[in-house]
Amino acid sequence: MSVTRRNTAAWLLLGPSTAVLVLLFVVPIGYVLVLSVTDPRLALAHYQRIFTVPLYTRVLVNTFLTSLVVTALCLVLGYPVAYVMARRGGWVGTVLLTIVAMTFWTGFLVRTYAWLVILGSKGPVVSAYQALGLGPAPQLLFTTFSSTLGMTHILLPYMILALYAVMKKIDANHLKAAASLGARPAAAFREVFLPLSLPGVVNGSLLVFVSCLGFFVTPVLLGAPRDMMISQLINQQIEELLAWGFASAVAVVLLAATALVVGVYNRFAGLDRLWG
Amino acid sequence: MLPLILASIAALFLVAPILIVVPMSFSTAISFQFPPPAYWIGYYRKFFTSEEWLEPALNSVIIAGGAMAFTMLLVVPAAFGYVRYRFRGKALVNLLIMSPLIVPHVVSALAYYRFLGRAKLTGTYLGVIVAHGVLAVPVAFLVIAATLKGFDRNLERAAMSSGAGPFRTFWYVTLPVLRPGMLVGALFAFLSSFNEAVVALFIAGRGATTLPKKMYESIRLESDPVIAVVSTLLVGAVVLGVLVPVVMRRRPIDAA
Amino acid sequence: MTKSIEIDRGRRAFLKGAALATVGPLIVTDRTIAQTRTIYVNTWGGSWTAAEEAAFFKPFTDQTGIRVKTVAPVSYAKLKAQVQSGSYEWDITAITQADLLRADREGLLDPIDWSVVKKDRLFPNAVYANGLAYCALGTNLAYRRDKFPQGGPKTWADFWDVKKFPGNRSMLNNAVRTAQFALVADGVPPDKVFPMDVDRAFRKLDQIKPHVKVWWTQGNQSQQLMRDGEVDMMVMWNARASELAQQGHPVELVWHGATITTTMWGVAKNAPNRKLAWEFLQFAVQAKPQADFASRLFYGPTNPDAFKYVSAEVARQLPTYPENAKVAIKPDTVWEADNTAKIQERFTQWLAG
Repeated sequence: MSVTRRNTAAWLLLGPSTAVLVLLFVVPIGYVLVLSVTDPRLALAHYQRIFTVPLYTRVLVNTFLTSLVVTALCLVLGYPVAYVMARRGGWVGTVLLTIVAMTFWTGFLVRTYAWLVILGSKGPVVSAYQALGLGPAPQLLFTTFSSTLGMTHILLPYMILALYAVMKKIDANHLKAAASLGARPAAAFREVFLPLSLPGVVNGSLLVFVSCLGFFVTPVLLGAPRDMMISQLINQQIEELLAWGFASAVAVVLLAATALVVGVYNRFAGLDRLWG
Repeated sequence: MLPLILASIAALFLVAPILIVVPMSFSTAISFQFPPPAYWIGYYRKFFTSEEWLEPALNSVIIAGGAMAFTMLLVVPAAFGYVRYRFRGKALVNLLIMSPLIVPHVVSALAYYRFLGRAKLTGTYLGVIVAHGVLAVPVAFLVIAATLKGFDRNLERAAMSSGAGPFRTFWYVTLPVLRPGMLVGALFAFLSSFNEAVVALFIAGRGATTLPKKMYESIRLESDPVIAVVSTLLVGAVVLGVLVPVVMRRRPIDAA
Repeated sequence: MTKSIEIDRGRRAFLKGAALATVGPLIVTDRTIAQTRTIYVNTWGGSWTAAEEAAFFKPFTDQTGIRVKTVAPVSYAKLKAQVQSGSYEWDITAITQADLLRADREGLLDPIDWSVVKKDRLFPNAVYANGLAYCALGTNLAYRRDKFPQGGPKTWADFWDVKKFPGNRSMLNNAVRTAQFALVADGVPPDKVFPMDVDRAFRKLDQIKPHVKVWWTQGNQSQQLMRDGEVDMMVMWNARASELAQQGHPVELVWHGATITTTMWGVAKNAPNRKLAWEFLQFAVQAKPQADFASRLFYGPTNPDAFKYVSAEVARQLPTYPENAKVAIKPDTVWEADNTAKIQERFTQWLAG
């Protein structure tokens, strides 16, 4: 087949999706960008506000720090699980995989509701506190703590799956070779497995960090109004104040931050690496 | 030993909250009390007879189905075009197709709220189907493109060399081999729409309220115990969906 | 042989698809028809909506066949967003008189449709700024009797007195109400609150801020806080407090310094089902339905004839009861409408700071 005929076929196949994505995705998002500098009039005033008013800069910093903490927690909790899943296999591996899959597919709202019950004033944590005679329990819900915990729980499966995808490809022979050269298990892990698993760590961390930046449902329902994250701010500005221009500007800042992180990753690792 | 202990703790952390919703659904208490003071199935009865919960549930199914169809119609040809042909601008097309996955949902929600609002499509099936369909494109594309990449073209060549034309080859050789991948892609698209909460919060409503939106509002406003019932039913569906293939395989996953 | 099976499968799939294609539109049309005889009412949720269902929606649907669906929560911003964007989640809303005036000034309300609403079936003072009067709602001080065996707070000054009355507090996340209570706590007599000295109010608020555990936004939330004992005293809507008391909880209501606001019905401008909406409102302002609502949720009826159907027992609990209204803050709708936006913005900053 001639090159032009091949190209035409390709564009015919890709045409509808491209058109739909441009018209029904890029255009609406682009309009938000436009709104951020034109509503109520042409100016960069909204962006100025975001970066100078302490209230809003606090939101940015808070979102960033919380995302870092959640990413770290997911890494610490998720690494052992992915490791056991990849290295052990067998029934243990299957059970773990089932648990991760179950958590992964259960929607955000179900899991957020579960945490509302657990951390609530009539929940098991408070009851345990009282049973252990530790005095009145501190307020657990509607704090940064509850918000962070909820987000960690929800994003953990993503981290585990990203780690697992890379770990499962690590050839067991590498570790056997290390052992045959006299390395103890801990050393073999540190020198051989850990470095080989780093791409998974980067993938997972990227996924979790970026998801956290834009997280909406859990911070709104579990978090403290004082320690707002960016998505809560956007929601508040639109729902309560109808401040289209300002809300759009905040959205653009979030989008830019996300694009920046993804862009950096792409530079060093290539986006298609993410899909394993 | 150590990794196993750590993994078990993490696994417990993952699964315990989900299991908690089950006893909660049988609780008699009005507020979020755990352990429940007493048990009954009253809230199950309430769920299955209340239109305010059944309607969003049905809507979610309809919308997810529509979004799935919309996504698949776009993604299957696109995957073929992308995987099997070489052309300039592939990176750009890849970026475009992945963009709904990269853009945070709250930003898409804002964009669609404005865009669909202007088109008077908020609160309608069509509006939500379009939005959800677009958002599901990257995920479905990934699955189908991956399946296509792993497809052995010799099968097609064999069929063609035996005299089958391109359409018959596609129908009798390509499609059946791709079917599992397409089903998975379609399932992912369906579930992504069914579970989607943020965009739905902004654009669903009136006749087209979705189940996640209803659940969100219920948590925020009513502390309605029926939400435990909905959660349990959803968890039950997930457990079935995950366990059935595992049980049917009847053997554990292989180690690395 | 395998070929015929393949063809059969293909044919079956095609037939299935065709069947769905024909039935599908029918399902949609049926629902669409039902949709067009449905009105959507913006409501506060929980007990409020339950009382509305029993007193207004169900009787109305029984009488006219028009279905009523509710959308919670009530939001002024949503009203504005809907009218501006042209996509409506609901047709009718119930907001305070001051917000109604604001809405009318901003052109967000549908003018009363006098072809549907019959003037002679309305009571005097039913109409205000393109809205119809709904009920009188009290925002009071409420506390748990069991936390204060020596007697609880009797005024807003007591609420501010954390030494004499220690304990967890909660307040309504509403700028104007909170500011009003602050002024009364600072010594302003309830009937002299307006025009409000906003600076004085915020200075007083600074004193109580560290002691407010939760700033609640939903009626159900306020009840949950009180019922579960998470707070010892709080701002509460009178009917929500009374409801808890009726259920046996040790909740006391204070009328001194309470605000009494009139809730009004309004129809969003150009709402899709506005003709049916006005039909509903014509029904809702009648004496019997109003009395029924008041008996379920202790908010005072605005229709004078409704009191004929309200028992003396219930009447005593209502904001309209003379003993209660006497010590409450006298409202100034116009002042509120003029200043709400400014105070709200200041309050939001204050709360987050």
